Amino acid sequence: MEKRRRVLELCVDAGETLLANGAEIYRAQQTMELIARSYGAEHFNAYVLTNGLIASIRLEGADEHAAVRNTPRVDMNLGRISAVNALSREIVAGTVTVEAAFARLAVIRAMRGFPGWMMALASAVAAACFSFLLGGSVLDALTALAPGFAVGLFTCRLARTRAPLNKLVSNMLSAGVVALVSVVCVQLHGMAGLSCDLDKVIIGGIVSLMPGIALTNGIRDVANCDYLSGTIRAIDAVLVAAGIALGVGIVLRAASLVPGVYL
Amino acid sequence: MGELLVQFAVAFAATVAFAVLVNAPPREFACAGVTGAVGWLVYCLCLRGGMTAAFAALLAALALAFVSRVFSVARQCPATVFLISGIFALVPGAGVYYMAYYFIQGDNAAAFAKGFEALQVAIALAVGIVLVMALPGRLFGIFSPRPRGGKR
Repeated sequence: MEKRRRVLELCVDAGETLLANGAEIYRAQQTMELIARSYGAEHFNAYVLTNGLIASIRLEGADEHAAVRNTPRVDMNLGRISAVNALSREIVAGTVTVEAAFARLAVIRAMRGFPGWMMALASAVAAACFSFLLGGSVLDALTALAPGFAVGLFTCRLARTRAPLNKLVSNMLSAGVVALVSVVCVQLHGMAGLSCDLDKVIIGGIVSLMPGIALTNGIRDVANCDYLSGTIRAIDAVLVAAGIALGVGIVLRAASLVPGVYL
Repeated sequence: MGELLVQFAVAFAATVAFAVLVNAPPREFACAGVTGAVGWLVYCLCLRGGMTAAFAALLAALALAFVSRVFSVARQCPATVFLISGIFALVPGAGVYYMAYYFIQGDNAAAFAKGFEALQVAIALAVGIVLVMALPGRLFGIFSPRPRGGKR
């Protein structure tokens, strides 16, 4: 009786951890099933969506138990996903007891992501590299460090607010920050007599906002026949891209109205 | 040749930066970097060979997904870690930018053309990833550090 409830809890907690950190549906489902089977569940059923999961279990011929978890916000953390994956392997190998697995899972859930300054730095490096890859000059790439760093700080700050903005608005604002900082930097270069390509600087800056995760996971969900989740993620990807386009567009439009600014 | 090396190195650095942004485990940074750089190199070479952006993205996604699966077996780590870090370089950020740019310039035809191209690239990436992910896991067993292959 008690064991059944604990196994179910462990399964849904593991599934929830995977979902909340950006795993594909198939991975969450398969991991829960593997854990349940390893602890002797005869019947385990799980229904997983991008933002929540339902699971039920029956052990040793007794009544069925069910649990629901809701994961409205996804915060990408591949480190936690790969840690849960490693834990599930060990559970399947039979080397971890239920209570030990709970303890391990608690440690995984407490794992911290990289600090904000490192995120901002990574965003700056990504912006510079990408600006260069798309044919920008070395000067373009160095200039792209500024919008990349600014947007890194901005998204970190946004993620920390208590009432999260919706995706369209937050991406619009972030892309607006990129465009604004880029326009200012390029204008300053212009005054100093250096020529710099605004396109390449902005494209470098927005690349870390692009919906690469939603796209990749959406594709994999559809490929695994989780059509509903795949569709949700595809809509997510389109919304994010639209938000970016809007943010950049509005700032560029506003900048073109300022006298003396040449786009 | 030297220029390709520079492209490879910069794409490697970009992918490692993305890996930080998605909180990938630090011990997989190098492999993630190689994955993204290989994808980018294939994309670059295809574009130089005169292919369209969408076809180049398809081939690049095939290479990227293949390398991800090899690393996932070799490093006993989910393929997602390499795939998500590596895909960023190929996601059509430039297409989205030019769409917005032409739109505010009032050139709707060019804006739609760019938007459509971005969509084509996204679909090409999708097809490439799906094809490689559909390959049976046994094919990748030879890359396993242990005699018996693990799960993906």
